[in-house]
Parts: sequence; structure tokens; C-alpha cells
Amino acid sequence: MGNYHELEMRVVYAQTLNELIARNPDVFCLEADLGKADASIPVVSQRHPRNFINCGVQEANMIGVGAGLAREGKIPFCSTFTAFATRRCYDQITISVAYANNNVKIVGTSPGITQGPNGGTHMCFQDHAIMRAMPNMHIYSPADAIELRAVMYHMADSRQPTYMQLVRPKMPKLFEEGDPFDPHQAKRLHDGRDVTLVATGFMTSFALEVARQLEKENIAVDLLHYPSIKPFDARTLVDSARRTGAVVTVENQNILGGLGSAVCEVLSEHHPVRVKRLGVPDRFGEVADQDYLFNKHGFGPDHIARACRELSNSKS
Amino acid sequence: MGSQQLTREQLDSLAAEFRYVVTDAICRSGVGHIGGVMSLVEIVITLYYRIMKVKPEDPHWPERDRLVLSKGHAGPVVYTALAYKGFFPKDWLTTINKNGTRLPSHMDQILTPGVEITAGSLGQGLSCACGLALAAKHDSRKHRVFCIIGDGESDEGQIWEAGLFAGHNRLDNLIVICDYNKMQIDGRTDEIIDLEPLADKWRAFGWETFEMNGHDWDAIYDTIQKADAVSGRPSMIVTHTIKGKGNRETEGLVDCHNVKIPDETTYQRLMCGLECKFDLPY
Repeated sequence: MGNYHELEMRVVYAQTLNELIARNPDVFCLEADLGKADASIPVVSQRHPRNFINCGVQEANMIGVGAGLAREGKIPFCSTFTAFATRRCYDQITISVAYANNNVKIVGTSPGITQGPNGGTHMCFQDHAIMRAMPNMHIYSPADAIELRAVMYHMADSRQPTYMQLVRPKMPKLFEEGDPFDPHQAKRLHDGRDVTLVATGFMTSFALEVARQLEKENIAVDLLHYPSIKPFDARTLVDSARRTGAVVTVENQNILGGLGSAVCEVLSEHHPVRVKRLGVPDRFGEVADQDYLFNKHGFGPDHIARACRELSNSKS
Repeated sequence: MGSQQLTREQLDSLAAEFRYVVTDAICRSGVGHIGGVMSLVEIVITLYYRIMKVKPEDPHWPERDRLVLSKGHAGPVVYTALAYKGFFPKDWLTTINKNGTRLPSHMDQILTPGVEITAGSLGQGLSCACGLALAAKHDSRKHRVFCIIGDGESDEGQIWEAGLFAGHNRLDNLIVICDYNKMQIDGRTDEIIDLEPLADKWRAFGWETFEMNGHDWDAIYDTIQKADAVSGRPSMIVTHTIKGKGNRETEGLVDCHNVKIPDETTYQRLMCGLECKFDLPY
């Protein structure tokens, strides 16, 4: 038991890996020369040196080594920045992991605008979209440290190729220890009948802030957090859309192909209502801070609130 | 399981039969990678009949030696060996590349009993073989991991990533055979992307490096035994082979990489180009 939300998420990631390795020595931590950035150096490398493998700057090889380990019953967590964890080795993941059904866990760190000072070369807005288009791949995006731990325990216990986004800094506490993680179940964080707000990962705490703020304006937001983008809990979304009649989505990603697209796919087939997608409008990243990028692309708390007001009003 | 004592005459006959059967099997699907299949016949027979410990009745036997065919397009020659060893019925060979087959052109660990690693997108199998070898080391298990890569495949950067990785991690339970037939799809390797000095490159990557004639039974067996005895580093066997070997219609021809067999005439020409005729086992 600990106050995990007081720790950086990357430290929680590394400490949780230690727990998972202690519990099951088949769990491995693989890095591609970003172990210090992920805190697995020294947290995992010192505690479990035999289960820690630094592949060097070899993302493609790391995925293949992970696939080979998985074929022998190991459970490798392969971590690097989102850009390199997905788009750089997309074919390796497609063939050696997903197509071959090798039980590899891929962890993309510093998603979207949280990449910050590394800028456009490293800032990846497409990982959810490209990973979602891959059969036999689960995609998780935990929103706080407690949920991160629940997701990692689930990953270690499931025999399922998986991609997880990992935000590295501290995140506000949203969940209680013991809250279950079920990839087939969205979580309702705020109950309302006026507008549905759908969020995941890094954006969920901002969305909750907005839902609470709009309560004061008598706008009741039905906030759904999706810790799993794939599989996607369609039923909770459709039920909510039936109640509210309008849906806003927000994601730390390109609005093409990710959470917003998943929402539109489900609603257009099962219960068409108006949807507003917030996120990065098909642009590359750049060196900039969070507020600058929120304002430039229009998906910060103010923009989320505005979209919720608009959609809520447009129904009446 | 275990190795078998076969005379040179028996080995020659088995190789000729493999070539006859695999050519017929590929022809049934109308198109196939005949060139890179034929260059591997003696190597694959040596591995499955003289070197590797496997149990066809128990493909997942934990102590088995592993073979990763990283140049996954040569799948049919491994399928022939697996069928002859009894991993599955020989008549499966007639289904290669047919709808619903369990023997696709490229290796598939889910579909085919005895296939360890899915491969075909070039460069990936060697990384997976490193993972298999690393797992064995971690668990102090004694089985060996063999991996066959192609020369054209060696253009891939991932091959050299795995080369660095295996050397650094001293994976001496990993023995890699490079099928150096010196031809790739678009031409000779020295014209497309020259690999030379190939053996020196692997030496520089920290591998114990050998060269052998991939059609000489004694050379193949003795070199693999030497590689098996190496301690503290992975082994690379740069293996000189002839693409399309054993068929007058394909041997040494650049254009035998992926051969189309559109009609009976082409089929008959290919079958007549082989050294011997055999009764088909299906």
C-alpha cells in the first residue's frame, strides 16, 4: 500500500515491474536505452538484474527479442518513447507480436504533448490510431498511478499482445486502490444527462476538472473514461449517448484514428448523435509546453468546456 | 528423436527425394520460392536428421532444439523435413499455399506443428531467435537455437541489430547459418548490395565465424559441430550454396527466386530438370 499518486508514473511503472517479477520470475523488463528515463534504471536493473535487458538503441530488435522470449513463456515489457515503441517498429510488432500471437507487452512512454521539449521528431500523435488498426492488439491508456498498477497486473496475467501508453510525470489521483481494471469496461467518473464526455489516459483528469466546473453552470456531464481503447466498451457509450444525445471526445492524439474515431464508429452504427472530437487536428508536434499546444490545437480544459456547452445547448 | 546414422548414399538419395517432392508440392500451388528452397536442402536434412533433438510426436517438448527459418519464404523445405520426420502427414505438402492451408509460403508458428517462429518479413526471425536463446540461458536450459538467414535478408538493418545484441549477450547457444547463394530477387548480391567481406563483418560483431560448402554433407555436419562447441559467443556459419541447386531449370539462375508454374508444360519441364524421379509420398 502506498501513496502512488505522489510518485511519478514512471517510478510507479518501475516499482510495479519489480512486484510483478518478484511474483512471477518470467516477467522481464526490456529497454532500448531509455531505462533511466523510464526509471527502470536503477529501480528494476538493481533489484532484478537477470530480468532486466537493455537492448541499446534497437527498437526493432527489442520487439523481436521480446517475441522470442514470449514464445518461451516469458512476459516481456518492452518500453521506449511512444514514437519508437510503435511507428518505428510497426512491422516488427505486426508480424513478430500480433500476427504470431506472441505475448509481448509494449509500453510507449511520454505520449503526445507530454513529450514536450523533444519536439516534433519525438512527439507522436498517431500511436493509438496505428495500433488500433492492428488485429490481435489490445491498447490501454491508464489515467493515474493506481490505474496504471491495475493495468500492469492485468497485462502480466493475461496472454494477450498489448500496447500501453505511459505518462511519465505525476498524475492527479482519480482512482482508489482495489478499483478493478477490465478492458471491456469503461469507467463513469461523473454522472450527467446533458452531454457525454469521453476521455482516456492523460486527458481524463482534465476532463474530470471540466465536468466538475460545468456542474456549477448546471450542465451535467456524463464523463466516461476509457482505460482500454481496444477492446472498446461500446455498450456504455451507446447507453450514455441515448441519455445525453451529444458526445464530446478528447484525446492527447491525432483526432484521426484514435479514441474519437472509435466513438464515431460505434455511434454511427448503433446510435447516431452529434459528436465533437477534440485532440490534435492532423498536425505534427513541435517543441512547446502543454498550454501552448492545448491552445494551438484546441483540446485543453477551456476547449473541452466550450465544446460541452455548445453540444449541450445545441440539443435544446 | 535424436540423430540418425545415414550413409552418404542414403543422404544423397534423401536430398534428391526432398528436391523432387518439394518441387512437386510447390508446383501444385502454381508459384513458389524454388531457388531459396533448393539451396537449403542439405542443410535442413543435416539439421533434422543428424543434429537437432526433436520429438515429432511432441512438438513442444521443452528440451527440443529450436530452428528459426528467418528467411521464411523457404518454408516448403522445412515443411518437407517436418513431414518426413512425422510432425504431420506428408499429404499436407500438397496443400502448400492453397486456401485454408496449414503450410503457408512463409513460416507460421500458429499454423504448423514444429515451426517455432513466424517469419517472412525479412530480418525479424534472427531477433526472435535471440529471444529464444536468451530465454534458454536465463533458465539454464541446454537446448540449442539454430537460425537460418538469407543473404538478401542480410541487407536488413535488423539483422545487424540482432548481430550486435547476440554478440554482446554472448549467446553461445545460438548458431546461425547464412544461406549465401549470392542471389536475391533483383540480381546478384554483389550487384544489388554487396555483402562482402561478409564473414569479416560477423567476426567484427563478436561472433565465432565459419565458412562452409552448404551442399557438402561432411562440411555441414563438421562445421555445425564445431559451432556447437564454441563457448562465450554466438556462431555464424557463412554457407556457400547454389540457388536453385539440383534442378537444371533453376540451378544458379537469378530468376529462380520465385518461379511461376502456370501450366502442365512448365511443371513437366521443372520435374524433368531434377536429377532423379521418385514416387510421390501422397
